[in-house]
Amino acid sequence: MNNPKDSTNMQNDGPRHWRSLEHKADTPEFRAFVEKEFPSGVDLIDDPVSRRNFMKIMSASFALAGLGVTGCRRPEHKILPFSKMPENYVHGAPQHFATSMPTRQSAVPLVVKSYDGRPIKIEGNPELPGSNGGTDQYAQASILSLYDPDRGLNFKIAENGKLNVIAKAKVLEQLKGLANSKTHVLMEQSSSPSRAALVAGLKAKGVRFYEYEPIDFSVHAEAASIAFGSSVKPVYKFDKAKAILSLDCDFLGTEEAAFENIRGFSAGRRVKDDHTENPSEVMNRLYVVEGLLSLTGTNSDHRLRIPTGSVSRVAALFLKEALELSNTDAGGFIDELKEFIGNLNEDFPNSHAVEGEGSSANIGKWVKECVADLARLADQGKKTLVLAGYRQPKEVHLVAMALNSLLGNVGETLVLQSFNDAGNGSIKDLAANFEKGENLIVLGGDPAYNAPADIDWNGIVERAGKFVRHGFYNVDQTSQKSDVYIPATHYLESWGDALTSDGTLVPVQPLIAPLFGGLTELEVLARISGSEEVDPYKITRATFEGIAGKGDSKWDKFLHDGFLAGSEAKIVSAEFDGEAAATEWRENIQKFIPPSKKNLEVTFFRDHCVDDGRWGNNGWLLETPNPVTRITWDNVLLVSLNTARDLLGESESKKLLDFEKVDGEDFDPKTMDLPGRFGFHSDSGRFHQKVFKLKIGDREIEGPIWLLPGMADNVVGIALGYGRGVGRVGGATGPLSERTGGGGFDAYKVRTTKAQHVASGAELLPTNAKYEVACTQEQGVMDGRPVVRECNADDFDGHKDFVKHFDLDSVHHTTHLVKGDDRGYPWEKDEELKRINSSDEDLPASPYRNNFGDDKVNGPKLMDVQRQQWGMVIDLTTCVGCNACVVACQSENNIPIVGKHQVALGREMSWMSIHRYFSGDEHNPQVTYQGVSCQHCEDAPCETVCPVNATVHDQEGLNLMAYNRCVGTRYCSNNCPYKVRRFNYYDYNRRPMGSEGGEIKPGQFFNDDNSLNNSPLHPGNKSSNGEWELIRWYKDPSRGSVPGLDDGKKEGGEFDPEWDLIKLSKNPDVTVRMRGVMEKCTYCVQRIQRAKIEQKSKVRDSVEKLDDPEAKIAALDVPDGTIIPACQQACPADGVSFGDISDPTSEVYRLKRQNRNYSVLGYLDTRPRTTYLAKLRNPNASMPDYFDIPNTVTEYNKKNHAHIFESKESNADGKEPNH
Amino acid sequence: MSDVFPRWTNRLPSQIIFGLLLIGGVVTAGVTYYFTPKYTRVGYQPTQPVPFSHSIHVNQLGLDCRYCHDGVEKSWYSNVPAADTCINCHSGVLPNDPKLKPVRESYKNPDKAIEWVQIHKLPDYAFFNHAVHVNRGVSCVECHGRVDLMEEVSHAKHFSMTFCLDCHRDPNDRLRPLDKITDLAYDRSKDDANRDRNFVKEWHIKTSENCSACHR
Repeated sequence: MNNPKDSTNMQNDGPRHWRSLEHKADTPEFRAFVEKEFPSGVDLIDDPVSRRNFMKIMSASFALAGLGVTGCRRPEHKILPFSKMPENYVHGAPQHFATSMPTRQSAVPLVVKSYDGRPIKIEGNPELPGSNGGTDQYAQASILSLYDPDRGLNFKIAENGKLNVIAKAKVLEQLKGLANSKTHVLMEQSSSPSRAALVAGLKAKGVRFYEYEPIDFSVHAEAASIAFGSSVKPVYKFDKAKAILSLDCDFLGTEEAAFENIRGFSAGRRVKDDHTENPSEVMNRLYVVEGLLSLTGTNSDHRLRIPTGSVSRVAALFLKEALELSNTDAGGFIDELKEFIGNLNEDFPNSHAVEGEGSSANIGKWVKECVADLARLADQGKKTLVLAGYRQPKEVHLVAMALNSLLGNVGETLVLQSFNDAGNGSIKDLAANFEKGENLIVLGGDPAYNAPADIDWNGIVERAGKFVRHGFYNVDQTSQKSDVYIPATHYLESWGDALTSDGTLVPVQPLIAPLFGGLTELEVLARISGSEEVDPYKITRATFEGIAGKGDSKWDKFLHDGFLAGSEAKIVSAEFDGEAAATEWRENIQKFIPPSKKNLEVTFFRDHCVDDGRWGNNGWLLETPNPVTRITWDNVLLVSLNTARDLLGESESKKLLDFEKVDGEDFDPKTMDLPGRFGFHSDSGRFHQKVFKLKIGDREIEGPIWLLPGMADNVVGIALGYGRGVGRVGGATGPLSERTGGGGFDAYKVRTTKAQHVASGAELLPTNAKYEVACTQEQGVMDGRPVVRECNADDFDGHKDFVKHFDLDSVHHTTHLVKGDDRGYPWEKDEELKRINSSDEDLPASPYRNNFGDDKVNGPKLMDVQRQQWGMVIDLTTCVGCNACVVACQSENNIPIVGKHQVALGREMSWMSIHRYFSGDEHNPQVTYQGVSCQHCEDAPCETVCPVNATVHDQEGLNLMAYNRCVGTRYCSNNCPYKVRRFNYYDYNRRPMGSEGGEIKPGQFFNDDNSLNNSPLHPGNKSSNGEWELIRWYKDPSRGSVPGLDDGKKEGGEFDPEWDLIKLSKNPDVTVRMRGVMEKCTYCVQRIQRAKIEQKSKVRDSVEKLDDPEAKIAALDVPDGTIIPACQQACPADGVSFGDISDPTSEVYRLKRQNRNYSVLGYLDTRPRTTYLAKLRNPNASMPDYFDIPNTVTEYNKKNHAHIFESKESNADGKEPNH
Repeated sequence: MSDVFPRWTNRLPSQIIFGLLLIGGVVTAGVTYYFTPKYTRVGYQPTQPVPFSHSIHVNQLGLDCRYCHDGVEKSWYSNVPAADTCINCHSGVLPNDPKLKPVRESYKNPDKAIEWVQIHKLPDYAFFNHAVHVNRGVSCVECHGRVDLMEEVSHAKHFSMTFCLDCHRDPNDRLRPLDKITDLAYDRSKDDANRDRNFVKEWHIKTSENCSACHR
């Protein structure tokens, strides 16, 4: 191996993993910030209660207590049993039902846990063939939307332009007589066969149907149908692909059914056993060409950044190279391609990863080597896969299909399935066809908000004779203008059906009767058609019987299993039709002009949190950081560093981006948030971003700017889905400068039918406004340690023990400090040490030696050999950073939503957070993800400092939090080296839901943090109409925390919900924490206890006949794989393993014996139970941007004068140079 | 010069100290007695909507606890029976008894549940599981007392943290053969066959004294 060049262009000895540009620049101010551990605002309570107030209130409350003593009776609680016991129902035992969440053209098969009739947790259905039970973040969070307090509660009819509540029957009346040619129905996409049947019936009566999805994935099927000459859709088999080339296809993040792609991709990337397998042989390789820095791009081995619109040219270059390589002339097509490609290297001089390696020649080399690699694999009979993303036009997809055909992937990794296009019109057709006075029916979606800006939606609505709206919210822009409003049911309240991405029929089964009435889409369509059968259950069942045949047992099995076995769509074998594809390409392909400073390109993308806006009122998703930017609650204008330099001008860039001192100006960190500064306020750790105006043609929007390393230059990335203005959680609208609650800005305003995904000709103009962005990027920085350890697959064979050569916990540092084998895992023993300790072959209960003295020596034996010892392994190679675990944890463990302002102060509550590290070149960095939750250290630093023993260990190795003991000193959090403890600065679960006068303003729930100060000592706030909180509480403890009108008054027949909806979503197995207590990951202790209890209840006294005490213990042990924590359950990548680490047969034991296993900050000797498998990358040595050593390791070596991977000699004998 | 302070003030400091100690002692003793579950909980006997007598049903008629509380072996919660459980017998026995009116009404109208008053309430922040206790040898009587002799149910034991921990520290004396779980009159010290058995060893009972046993 050669010594690596310093390819990182680092000016200084920056930190090894940097998480932001500020961090990378490593300014003294940033250092000071990091060393403070917590941003300084985090511990300030902005409660206006002064000491004097406190005394006043306290004496008042004592007086009140005195008055109240006579009335101090034990509150009487009632037990209300059933009238007749439902069959198979056991009170207090959760039930699980199979259902599925319909998505655009697919569905997520689910098993939902229901507690006393309330659905409380969503899990993937592991029974489906190939499924591992993983889901995505949207499915995990969808349960919160069931309990959304802003849902449409009532049937409504407009009178004088205002929607009034009306009886359901009257609304149903209105649906009659619409089944004719004067009715136009606009719907969302759906895979439901029942809906397709109803639509077909209505079409026969002349009703015209249109579908609109702002983010539409149907281009995949359209392109495949052209390329293969019949109606087919592609299904990608990522697990079989040895190399994957993505042409702007974010298949791990924002494509349809990404969780399935992650499952396949991770399966193809996993090194199951690094003792026997050679990673460079088993791992797949990912090449990505893209303009944004997508989740897929961050997980790639090689990434070419090129503006999104120009990916078509690179795609053409790929095809040209591939055709030339295979000696196919393709009828002169190569020349056409050449002409189309032009001179890429001149047009995109900075697109390459490595500066200074002759970048202008690099695109060609990059593509050539990539094609060579794919072709080499094809020659070896291995399969590869080329994909194009939904943002790319059909022509690029055709190129991808052509490449797949050349590489022999069709039918292997690219499987074609028959596919019926519904043949519905588009929203453009609707605008063209709709005549004045005709009837408009809008089912779902929110076209008034997300229709392309050049479609005059209001014009359509004004022309409508009758406008019937079926939607989840009556406060969205579409519903507001409707004549008849029908509340839609949530999918957990609906009967229906759907097809998964491979066409398997799955049921949509309700877990609960509709909370607020409401109709399903199927029922609305059935009622419009005037059909006799309007019950969605019967409609669904009829469809099922049409497919699978009649019979209760079949239907019951379908509902029980959650899918119909063998119902997947037929696999079609078809030949690639090169002629048709070439013709289509010639006719439609457009050459994008390379964007420039004055002519920026805008790329719109589906958001990781709110999708296209449909989850815009879902607090769990809004508060989940975007995996790449780590921003919560908002969207931003993403630009690259070079673009930012152009926007700022030279002198400003020097000051703001390079942090260079400018003559005559003091560099005061406190002024870093001056307008014009790009953001970071190092004193508080907060980001005040300059707001820019984005102009495309005559349309303009405003948004805060954000620097994202790795973006293509002259490209602006904007997430869609924000600024919808719906709901009190995420619906904040209005000028950015006046907002505190997040909610982002509406990018649909500049999105037109012609430029749905990529718009050119944009301009960014600075404004004077600033906007705070809540980014979790800087929080919890574990600065200066190799927390993530990486290795290239081709190096692994020679350096199997590389993880043990980092940092002070390197074995070569510790042998002289610690005698024998007192540190580390027993299985990590060197052969020599094994000899010394040969008497000790027994596995101790603790995987670490001599914890608090073992029983042979003295002292209390904390780790009990008779109990199972829990531990976790997270595989960094398979983790793609998708966030499913983060939302699953929030759902399982009743983790509160804190609101944007609180996140900005560093008070986010997520127990599991995905840390993202950039390393290397700031123009095209390498990215590493690491999920971090409580590490359950055996020598836990938090436990020793707790003055009240609220955090202690148990005999199974869990680090416990007893909430009722905690007094909130936060010493534990200060002493935690991993920064995984979360403190309840407020009573987040009792944030008042109402507001002044009972009126709910969009976004107000989290806009007003003053409302959090509802302690009894608070002198009242808006939500209590200025009443002292204590008095308000005395009068009515629940006022302000239930949705609907404040006093429970019914006004105008408004539905008055009886329940506190937010409470319904809580998991009854987990304590809801109050203000002033610390909390953190518990390894889902409630699931551990449940499994243990079930095992004990099953065994009962049956072990008394066993003579062998060991056998008794074994009989009572929970079998491996029974306990699945929420994060492991949700993980589509199978990246998390949990189990008994003292059981040599368990999976987690096996993983902990892997060479790659390491502890984060192991040198502290905290002995964490959660360990990590080091990340393996699989780069191609022939590529121009090949890194001999992962950037993080290069930076580690540089900083510590270490030589990991650098020379074979120094590592061959396992020795490291001294520091 | 006469004394500024009269002589008796010499005793004042000791009187004050003694007084304070006395008051402090009384307050401490009062709180220790009156503010603990032993006082606040034991003996709680609210009036129930139906004067159901456990004594008649269990002691005289010999019903098993699990006839009505049928979820106790399967769930953390031991359910109060649904109205139809009562009607199983009371459709024939005492079908028109006025005392049973709420039961008949609830049976006819599902919206009209019988409003039993909760007696045994688990302390906040604690999780307790009936199933694991009754399946592993802990009888109902250990926590609920001789319900089989109660005309009206009252709170028999004090359910404080030490109540749980005492047993978790030394469970053997409170364990009994599984067929005697609902035999509340059973006394193991008089049962020669089982008196000296060590169930902890035989069944491998591993009680947990860790916080995680009850607090999650």
